Order: sequence, then C-alpha cells, then structure tokens
Amino acid sequence: MRIDLVLQGIFSALFIASVLRISTALILPALGGLITDLSGSINIALEGTMLVSAFTGVIVSGFSHNIWLGVLAGIVSGILFSGLLAYFHLYLGTNIILAGTAFNILASGGTIFLLYMLTGDKGSTSTLASGMVPSINIPFIEDIPFLGTVLSGHNIFVYLAFILAFLVERLLYHTRFGAHLRAVGEEPVAATSVGINVRRVKFTSLLISGFLASLGGLNLSMAYLSSFQRDMTAGRGFIALAAVYLGGRKPWGTVVAAIIFGVADALSNQLGTLNIPSQLVQMIPYAITILALVLNGVSNRAKIVEQTKRFQEREMTRITNGQK
Amino acid sequence: MKKLLSNSAVREALRIVLAVGSALLLGFIITMFVSEDPVVAYKAFLGGPLSKFNRFGDWIEESITLTLVGLSVAIAFKANQFSMGTQGQLVLGALVSGVIALYAPLPTILRIPLALICAMVVGFLWGWIPGYLKAYLNANEIVSTLMLNTIAIKIYDYFLVNYIKPADAGYNISALFPEEGTLPSFIPNIPFLSKIHDMFASQTNISIMLYITIIGVVIAYYLIFRTPFGYQVRMIGSNAKFARYGGINTNQTIILVFAISGIYGALAGAHLTMGINYHIITNISISMAFEGIIVAILARNNPIAVPFTALAYGYLRAGANIMERSTDISREMIYIIQALIILFVTAESILPMVQKRMEDQKEKKTTKKGLSLSKGGSHED
Repeated sequence: MRIDLVLQGIFSALFIASVLRISTALILPALGGLITDLSGSINIALEGTMLVSAFTGVIVSGFSHNIWLGVLAGIVSGILFSGLLAYFHLYLGTNIILAGTAFNILASGGTIFLLYMLTGDKGSTSTLASGMVPSINIPFIEDIPFLGTVLSGHNIFVYLAFILAFLVERLLYHTRFGAHLRAVGEEPVAATSVGINVRRVKFTSLLISGFLASLGGLNLSMAYLSSFQRDMTAGRGFIALAAVYLGGRKPWGTVVAAIIFGVADALSNQLGTLNIPSQLVQMIPYAITILALVLNGVSNRAKIVEQTKRFQEREMTRITNGQK
Repeated sequence: MKKLLSNSAVREALRIVLAVGSALLLGFIITMFVSEDPVVAYKAFLGGPLSKFNRFGDWIEESITLTLVGLSVAIAFKANQFSMGTQGQLVLGALVSGVIALYAPLPTILRIPLALICAMVVGFLWGWIPGYLKAYLNANEIVSTLMLNTIAIKIYDYFLVNYIKPADAGYNISALFPEEGTLPSFIPNIPFLSKIHDMFASQTNISIMLYITIIGVVIAYYLIFRTPFGYQVRMIGSNAKFARYGGINTNQTIILVFAISGIYGALAGAHLTMGINYHIITNISISMAFEGIIVAILARNNPIAVPFTALAYGYLRAGANIMERSTDISREMIYIIQALIILFVTAESILPMVQKRMEDQKEKKTTKKGLSLSKGGSHED
C-alpha cells in the first residue's frame, strides 16, 4: 500500500472516530488511576476491576435479558471489588501493590473459572446473547459532514468518558473533598494533623476509581465488543496507569495521554499495511511514558531542592536579623 | 502460648501456615459448590503431582522456574523496591539464550554456557535501566518496570515474527533447537548412571538448571546476608533515609539491586526456552513473573527460603493442572487460591488483630491491669 493512502486513512473522520472508541477503554480507568494516585495509593488493580465488571455486566445482562441491569451489576461489582481491595489495604494493612497484584490474579482466574462454570466455555461468552448498549446520534451534528462522523454515533461510554473527565477535574480542583484528597496524597501526616480522616479519603478515592474502571470494563464487553473474552482487558489497566504519569497527573493531561495510547494502537493497525513492524509502533507510547516519568520525577526533585533552598535562605536571614 | 507467639520466626511460620491453610480451605468450599465430586477433585489437586513420574518432573521443572523468578523478585523487594520487571527480564533472557541455542555454531559444552551468560548479561542490563531511572531520575519503579515489560515483549515478538520464525511456519514459533542448544538432563549420561539417566530424560525435562538454581540460591543468600552490599540492601529496605544518613551510597546499591534481580529473571527465561520448550514461542510466560511475587512473599524475601516456597507453590500449580485434566474443575481455581494466599500472608494486621482479641478476652477474665497489648501493632504504608 502506498504511503499517501495510509495518510489519507489516518486523517479520515472514520479513523478519528475509531481512535475515540479505542481510547474510551483507557480514559475511564485512567481517570480512576489518577484519583487514587493523587490520594497517595497506586491502584494497580484497575486491570482486574475492569475485567470483573466486564464479566459481570455480560453475564447479568445475558441471563436477565436486560442490558441496563447488566450495566448496573457491572458497576456495582467494580465498586465492591475496589472496596474489598481498599479494606485489605487500609484496614488489614496489606501493601497496596501486593494487594493489587492479588486482586488482578483473582480477577483473571476468577472470571475464567466462573465463565467455565456458567457457560462451559473457557474462551468467551459468545454463546450468550448479552447485547450492547445503544449508540447515540446527536441531532444536527450528525448531519455535518466531517464532524458528524467524528462526534456522532458513538456508544454512551464514549460520551460518558469525556463528561466524567470534566467531573473528575471539578471534583479534584473545585471541591473540598478534592482538596482533602490531594492533601492526603501529598502529605498524609500533615493532612491528619489538620483533622482530615486519611483512611476515609483513601477509601473513597479507591471506590471512585473502582466506579470509573468498571465503566471502562463495561465499555469493552458491552459496547466495543458484545461479549466477554478471557483476559479481554489485555493490559489496558496498566496502560491507564501509565497514562496518568504521561499526562502529568492532571485530568485533561491524562485524557490526552490515554488518547495518545489509543492513537498508537489504531496506528499500528494502519501501519501494518506499510511494512513498518507493528511491534515497534506499539512500543512508542511505553517509551514516551518512561520519558514522562523521568521528567516528572526530575521536576519533582528540583521542586524539593528549590523549596529547601528557599527555606534555608529564609531561616538564615531570620537568624542574622535576630542577631542584629 | 503468648511467649511462643512473640517469637518472630514462630509467628512468621504460623502466619504462613494459617494463610495457606485458610486459602486451601476456601478453595475447597468453592469446589464443593461447583463440583459433582469435590473430594475427588481436591484429591487430584493435592495428591496429583506425586501420582506419576512425569507429573513429578513437571512439578520440579516448574519449581526451578519459580525459584528463579522468586529470587528475582525477592532481591528487589528486600531493598523495598517494588520492581515488577521480572517479566521483561525473563522474556529477553529467553530471547537471547534462545537465539544462541538456535544459531551459535558451537558444541554443547560451549553453546550452553555462552547462552546462559549472554542471557544473564542482558538481564543485568535490562534490570539496570529501571534501577538507574529510580535512583538518579526519581522515576517510580512500578510504572517504569511495567512499561519496560511491555517494551521487552514487543522486542521479543518483533525478532520472533520478523527474523526467527521460519518463513513457512504458520505459527509464531522458531525451529526446534538442535541437541547442542538444549539443557542436558541433570543426571549425566555416564555408564553406571545410564539407567537412571534414561528414566529421567525420557519422562522429565529436569535439567542441569537444577544445579545452577541451587548455586543461585546460595549466591543470593550469601550476597544478601553475608556481604557489605547485602547489609546495605537490607538497610535500604528497612529505612532508605536512615541508610543514606548512615553514609550508604543508596543510588549505587539500588541500581545494583535491580540489575542483579534482572540476572535471575533472565535465567528463568533461559530455563523456559532451553530447558522446557526447546522453541522460541510467543507468550512464553503470561503470569510467571507475578507468580514470582507470591513465591517471594511467602519466603518473606529471604533467598534461602525461596526454593522451599517455590516447591510448595509449584506443587499447588502442578496439582491444579492435574485437577483440570482429571475432574470437572478448571485449573483457574489455583489463581483464586493464589490470590487468597497473597492477601492472607501480606495482611499485616490479621494476626495481631486475632492476638489482640485473644488477649482482650484473657484480660477480661483475669482483670489484670497494665498489660501492654499492642505487640506487633498494625501499620499502614
């Protein structure tokens, strides 16, 4: 295939629309990852939470023949799953990384185990008619040539992802709870000393991240595809975590980073036709994340050095003034 | 009883026995719900690995890999570095050793050591990266190692699909390794041992990696508990700030910890390709690196305990496979049990909580005053 055809493909409205769809399963858990990260606990169980919700949603809607019941069950299961993780971490003293690892294993093994028990199939729920959530056509916009294809006709999770990104930004930077949450993440001891219940804030943040991750999982099994497949999250929970760092731990930065991962994913499909090895293209976002991580770490350290220096200077002038 | 409980080693052992016991019990309860014949299923699960000779072999082979990944994780965790990088090191170790096993025109006696050494070097270098990023550039090691894992897997797939796979192969799999490129059986093929050699070689893949692993365990133990380097590692593990004030070059030590951890991860990869698969295959290890975490945790990151927890855990895994083959329970059951074990072992507060309750009750009975109860105490991190 010629390069101009590929370029044409990339800049087409359909490609952008597909990027939005692919990115949704990253944006939602990434927002969850952002909230827990800012509250000072890395939730590496995003992956498992997505998987559990994706599974529960499909199973419930498949057996009850009610899509919305499935969605509801998926959300509840995701929140419960994170709640249990939070309980182990905050009340039973399990390290969050180890607990998260255990919960990921539990989710992967547990869903396959139950899948086999319920459907007799270990691969997917393809025998189960579980349905998909409806797509939304936005009136007027859908008739605009380019914009209509890009913006209209997506499933509800795509729109929800952007609405929730806005809400998460409001929550983190314009509410009392958000201020508490960031304080807890920054310096839990100081937060405690001004009367913030650190444990409760962390618990809540893990529950919210469970909610967001559950939507990401449901998006995979009830919108992007119409069935559950074993380990269908395929590392998206970890990529979401990376997006948080690539996005500089800011809500919209995280969304943009998630979309970058989505683009790389969509692009590697396109470039496959160009004899550029897809593995190398897929590698790029991960390499960029490491770079972002380094920049973030270096600037944090510089900030601390700067603050210490300022403090020392202030103290010095205070002391010399006092001596006068 | 109380005196016994205050002995840390006893508490430790008790905790692990309790954790594994309750995880197995919960597993059995789940089995009761879903199986036609739960007792048979559980019997296959718990007794299976010893029921046949080749199954015994599977168990030992698995335990060798588990020991190596367990050591890789334990060394990093000992310094309180949450490296998730074993996966990437394993994959690259498998790639490099596999390529040499496949192509290097050397006799066995040179090809095997060369393959292993190159794998170790690559593991060292790949482990060095997140260590450097953490030590000098302050990059979170959890995220960086997860990213490096994916990059390593992509590199592996890239070379496998584009260069190593024979043109006419339908699957992404290399040609079969030649005899010179596979790890020889752990029993040498010499006249008076030839019968035993044949027995093991025909039914199992237990290779000389057994000895290398044992040496690896001893070296890791010696390194951590008998050298200045190990002292620094343990000091950083218990309090990094204090270690720095105490004059330890923490950056250097942290980098070395990551790199040494990489050596063991890469050896596990070499074992998988040259000792078990005899091909370079895709998805060489989906979860092995995470299995390393559980082995390390059960061993409390003590290298000398790692092979024992690996054997115990490898036994459960092998049993789960047999259970799946011979009963109606799927082997994913083991993942549920595995997760429960991790949670029960790492929940710092369960035992102190139980202990406190016991003491509370005792106190109620005797109404003694002034007994300090907060032994062990819960702590958050």
